[in-house]
Amino acid sequence: MKNIVWLVSYPKSGNTWFRMFLANYLKNRAVPVSLEEIESTPISSNAVDFEEVIGLNPFELTTDEVDFYRPDLYRVLSEEAEKTGEPSYKKTHDAYTQNKNGEPLFPEEVSKSAVYFVRNPMDVCVSYANHSTKEIPNTLAFLLNEEASVAGNKSGQLRQMLMSWESHIKSWNDQILIPVHFVRYEDMLQKPVETFGGIVLFLELEYQEERLEQAIRHSDFKLMQQMEQENGFKERLQQSRSFFWKGKIGNYREHLSEEQIQRIVEYNYDTMKEFGYIDEEGKLTV
Amino acid sequence: MRLNIPLHINHLELSHEDLESVSCPIFTRQHLQVNEKHFFLDIPGVAKYRVMDGNLVQVYPYPEGDELSVNLFLNGCVLGVLLHQRGILHFHGNSFIYKNKGILLCGNAGVGKSSVATAFCQNGSRFITDDISPVRIEQQSTIILPFNTSVKLWQDTLQKLAIENNGLERVRLELDKFYFPMAETAPEEQRLDHLFILGMHNQEGYEVNELTGMDKYNALRRQIYRRVYLKGMPETEKKYFKQLFQLAAKVRVTQIVRPQICNIYDTMRYIEKEINR
Repeated sequence: MKNIVWLVSYPKSGNTWFRMFLANYLKNRAVPVSLEEIESTPISSNAVDFEEVIGLNPFELTTDEVDFYRPDLYRVLSEEAEKTGEPSYKKTHDAYTQNKNGEPLFPEEVSKSAVYFVRNPMDVCVSYANHSTKEIPNTLAFLLNEEASVAGNKSGQLRQMLMSWESHIKSWNDQILIPVHFVRYEDMLQKPVETFGGIVLFLELEYQEERLEQAIRHSDFKLMQQMEQENGFKERLQQSRSFFWKGKIGNYREHLSEEQIQRIVEYNYDTMKEFGYIDEEGKLTV
Repeated sequence: MRLNIPLHINHLELSHEDLESVSCPIFTRQHLQVNEKHFFLDIPGVAKYRVMDGNLVQVYPYPEGDELSVNLFLNGCVLGVLLHQRGILHFHGNSFIYKNKGILLCGNAGVGKSSVATAFCQNGSRFITDDISPVRIEQQSTIILPFNTSVKLWQDTLQKLAIENNGLERVRLELDKFYFPMAETAPEEQRLDHLFILGMHNQEGYEVNELTGMDKYNALRRQIYRRVYLKGMPETEKKYFKQLFQLAAKVRVTQIVRPQICNIYDTMRYIEKEINR
């Protein structure tokens, strides 16, 4: 049954923010849902799910062998979700790839749709460097690396192939088996009603303006920061000070050199232009 | 290719012909089929395994399947299935003897069970088993059944435990994980006194919670090794259900949540404090 909705993004691109919005929209309570409530919907690369469903230790398999079993993992999770009668929303940072058998990791037959969150790669670079407590030059190289991946080995999560920022977007954009709705982080921040409302319509959820506005208020960035400060957040890395850092648009200007900006622009020019980060005259819009 | 399994079985066969899958499975996944008596597992690139009646194992390696990989899964999933087929309750955890007390350290893969158990053994405890710990429930107590196994440790863990890697055997050629044979092992059966469930979080401190009532039973149930296979073995699961209740009445069960980044010996000391409490 096609009942999994993939919430896809490169890291630090608004995926968790949207999960908070969605939890608030679905629950429609007078008070905001806690961060703990979105922690209970683990990422698609959760190693515990893999071990429990597949019955093999993922850390005794090679990463390519793990990918062989991942489509089956999602088929089982889809079966389990079927009992609830509701779609299952799964966060993922994976690019759209196939395993060595040529089978897509995200099987068409269980995938209802995908929402893809895009963010200016320069802001991604700065935010991801802060999140992973890595230096900016290393993070920048990561964003331009076609072989980039995260986790795997014994990190607690399965290996996720990200590839470069641009190839990640293209991988989801070019596939035709799962309908994808692309959303810009910047639009979520600047035009929230229109942007979140657009996702609600795409997901075929009941559209209610008041409910939408309440869910947007309940997933406000400052509120999430406050919740994290008060009760912590499981998705923060232990060495990182906070998961919700600044969330600002154009924060890269305070952290990247002209040369670093140039490198990102040159590598990703076409895609940045396609998503409006570069205008017709070739100038940066953010 | 030499096959090894630390359990006496009637028949361990290296097959040169492809194996048949299970004819009437109760539970199937793309790569496995299970019923009460028969089990089939396919690990592409490594081997296919067929296990019957708790006493017969056939292994059909893929052409590219190397001896280390074939034996790793033989001593993991297949060993677990043999025990399930024999109705021997076993947990996903390491066991050792600490000051005459039988300790079982359970938890998900990658949580640090083997590292902490090794730290205990460096400090006077005696090693019993790695990764799979079978038990027998008796009227008065629960007994841990010993196996002849080595601890599996990642290279970075060996370094953290100041263990020199002088030609230790890899668990698989592709993995930076090694078999470390313990000097002090306990060949005899040992009473189980305290079972720990190790978890991880992103906070700085440790969390401890001694379980009681249904929480204790449910937590124990989740620690059964390869519990998913029991979906094809309802009779065995029923037997375990009874045994788990008996076990819950006899042993202490404590959940310990450690920081993601922490010193192995700190975790050991934390557990030590709980054992002595």
